[in-house]
Amino acid sequence: MTTGLALRSVTKRFGGFAALEEVDFVAHGGEVHALLGENGAGKSTLMNVACGIYAPDEGRVEIDGKAVSIAGARDAAARGIGMVHQHFKLVPAFSVLDNILLFNPGRPAAEVGAEAQRLAARIGFDLPLEARAGTLPVAEQQRLEILKVLIGGARIVILDEPTAVLSPEEGTALMGLIRGLADEGAAVILVTHKLHEALHHSDRITVLRQGRTIAETTPEGMNPAELTTLIVGEQIVEEPELSSHVGERVIWLNGVELAGDAGRRGLTGLDFQVRAGEIYGVAGVAGNGQSELAEVLMGLARPTGGTVWMDGENITEAGPAGRRRAGLACIPVDRYRHGLAGRLSVADNYAVNGVLAGRYGGWMWLNRAKARARAREAVEEFDVQGVRGMGQRAALLSGGNAQKLVIAREFEGETRVVLAHSPSRGLDVRAGAAVHARLRAARDAGAAVILISDDLDEILLLSDRIGVLSDGRMAAEFTAPADRAEIGRAMVSHGDD
Amino acid sequence: MATTENLSLRERATKPRPAFRLVPLLEPRQKVGETRRIAVYAASLGLAALLSVLLLAVSGVPPSDLGTEIAATAFSSPRALGSVLAQMAPLVVAGLATAIAFRANFWNIGLEGQMILGAICATAIAIFDIGPEALRLPLMMLAACAGGMGWIAGPAYLRQKLGVSEVITTLLLNYVAFNLLLHLLYGGWKDPVSSFPHSEQYEAVERLPQLGWQTLTWALPFAGILAAALWWILSASRLGYLLDLLSANRDMARAVGVPVAGLSLAAILASGAVAGLTGFVISAGIEGRMTQDFHVGYLFNGVLIAFLGRNHPLGVVIAAFFMAVLVQVGQSLQVFFGTPFSLVRLTQAIFIICVAGSEFFLTYRMNFRSAS
Ligand SMILES: Nc1ncnc2c1ncn2[C@@H]1O[C@H](COP(=O)(O)OP(=O)(O)OP(=O)(O)O)[C@@H](O)[C@H]1O
Ligand SMILES: [Mg+2]
Repeated sequence: MTTGLALRSVTKRFGGFAALEEVDFVAHGGEVHALLGENGAGKSTLMNVACGIYAPDEGRVEIDGKAVSIAGARDAAARGIGMVHQHFKLVPAFSVLDNILLFNPGRPAAEVGAEAQRLAARIGFDLPLEARAGTLPVAEQQRLEILKVLIGGARIVILDEPTAVLSPEEGTALMGLIRGLADEGAAVILVTHKLHEALHHSDRITVLRQGRTIAETTPEGMNPAELTTLIVGEQIVEEPELSSHVGERVIWLNGVELAGDAGRRGLTGLDFQVRAGEIYGVAGVAGNGQSELAEVLMGLARPTGGTVWMDGENITEAGPAGRRRAGLACIPVDRYRHGLAGRLSVADNYAVNGVLAGRYGGWMWLNRAKARARAREAVEEFDVQGVRGMGQRAALLSGGNAQKLVIAREFEGETRVVLAHSPSRGLDVRAGAAVHARLRAARDAGAAVILISDDLDEILLLSDRIGVLSDGRMAAEFTAPADRAEIGRAMVSHGDD
Repeated sequence: MATTENLSLRERATKPRPAFRLVPLLEPRQKVGETRRIAVYAASLGLAALLSVLLLAVSGVPPSDLGTEIAATAFSSPRALGSVLAQMAPLVVAGLATAIAFRANFWNIGLEGQMILGAICATAIAIFDIGPEALRLPLMMLAACAGGMGWIAGPAYLRQKLGVSEVITTLLLNYVAFNLLLHLLYGGWKDPVSSFPHSEQYEAVERLPQLGWQTLTWALPFAGILAAALWWILSASRLGYLLDLLSANRDMARAVGVPVAGLSLAAILASGAVAGLTGFVISAGIEGRMTQDFHVGYLFNGVLIAFLGRNHPLGVVIAAFFMAVLVQVGQSLQVFFGTPFSLVRLTQAIFIICVAGSEFFLTYRMNFRSAS
């Protein structure tokens, strides 16, 4: 086994804040190396140092035992390091082939195209080279990212939380793919929050905490509880806990239809209701109408048929503003699209609900000091880490902490209905548990909670009732405690039973 | 094949490394302090000034003369300063009009058309003596707003409902407006006194009063008040905050319940209204009538000023002052040194590029250090 990539006592500071302190990390060729750690532990930063996006303040980067200085991402690629980032770096308007060419400049298109096809076939998927990158489903965009770095000749492949946006099935397929890469001699580094990926699909594990390496170990003989303790420093046990008091009907979808079009599944005759004090889990294989359902609930998409009722009022025609006034809180699945404005400050991102509700003054005057103070309290209360000033741009929060900021904002006021779409995506175990606790607290305070998630474990853990979304309609409904296998069957039945 | 590729990669991987890098790594900054911001702008302006002086020196204007020329044409006498300030007033208003639209991500390239419509509407009030004399000026002002708004409403509608690019529609409407202006000035609105193609002279009540210092009129305070009001709205009010949110992430703004369509429409119409006021300020505040070429050059200057002022009302005021000095100096260079007008434009372009480039140093930190 050769040393692929070694980072030796790397320190990286942003302003006065040390994101990494004397971190050591070694990944060998031929292995899958899992990099774990809490939100904001410094995983992405460390990998950005490895692939030349950041220069370390102290310490060095070695490739095959030789110290190197990497002059940016292009140079890293030339040295065989390729990274698939937490947020994809694709040009949506470009074709698949153009995106690959952009990353591998100076090579003839025909040659690259042929190689892409060959490589894709070898690792077991195909990609339409002419399709526009922006129109591909997330899983295929990610394959494109992987293909991009492999064609560049990467033998050190870094994947930053690759399965966060994938369905469990797609995730499993990806794990097979990276094992194949490692078998061919590549060093694969897998950044993840999913313990089972580290335990079942990696050869070695490094754990970061607050910018320091705190453990390097192998998955043999480890169990999830031990790994959790390593990562967050404490045991975290989540137990199902059913609702003690279910009240009257709060939200009711009656025969909701949404016309589908290219790349979008429609909804057909969607019927379900959620009562006060219960968590209604929407299970299903990704792509069966989850996003469309979320858009209908948020008021972003007008149903083409049927009605949506909330507290006895027909809100089918109401937009997001009206619904929020009526007490709807949303944790959207894509926090950088529907959750945050990355260019604006943490305080401004937090303030928006309060501003719209008139809590910081009328139309002509905005009490920014008050908004800032309120944001500071909330950041503290929801444990959003890495915020060193309220004026800091939201885009530079670590992925998980950005999610916490959204959650803090959405849970600010009185809520009647909570829509949570994959709310613990990208969160560490502790933060995930904290989100689950928030959802339960909202339920216990009498809200109707709708939880849409691809993660059946999460659904089973939290839900009082479970609906299975298949082909744009509710194929089956279960009351907790429900049988996992039965739900699984309903998920793939395509609603024809 | 795979092995040879790997080998060459390995060779490249181990090439010797220098002690520091020539090409720095760029790291995004989390926030920018005010002192740094000011220092970076000052440095970029200094660089631009230096380059401009060099350029002019090469084309035959000695730097020493240039210094005295600037001092003489812009600052030496109250008369010179007065004329710079007089030029500045409409530039401020034009810059504000453009900045509002840009803040809402609406690329309004139709400033001149909207100015013309503003002036036409104001002039209609003046030549047909509509309304009591005491209200004549405010009426002209409102009419100018309405004219500018009307001229931008079409592009706004097309953009919002049909997704038609406003760059094309606003731009083309400039020509329509210009031909309308010519039609009026060579037709029914020709000056009955001189028969020249400009409107008849406004009566005293239809003109912005003199300030009593040099040739300055109320156009300048008017521009100042407008800038202050917009500054308030854009940085201290809820509207300004929501507009920022909208331009930073429209999808998110919509999802949290910001009335995005209404808000952008309001901003676009406001831009048109202020553009209309630019026409009013020139006609009622400077020329005292509607001429056939009062609008020439304002589109370009408006974009420039909004850009240099970073779409911020105070920035716009400063940039407009700056531009007025440049224009004034440019005029005298043309007269005294025979410097071609294109060269004057070129120096303006240098300033823009330098300020635009400075943004980069505010967004990124450059790291020249090599790993130790
Ligand atoms: N360019 C930057 N400027 C300032 N601070 C930064 C920058 N990039 C990251 N940080 C901070 O460094 C810390 C580590 O961030 P990093 O993105 O590496 O975390 P992470 O381990 O990847 O977390 P997550 O699992 O949430 O993605 C965070 O507190 C983050 O806010
Ligand atoms: Mg990360």
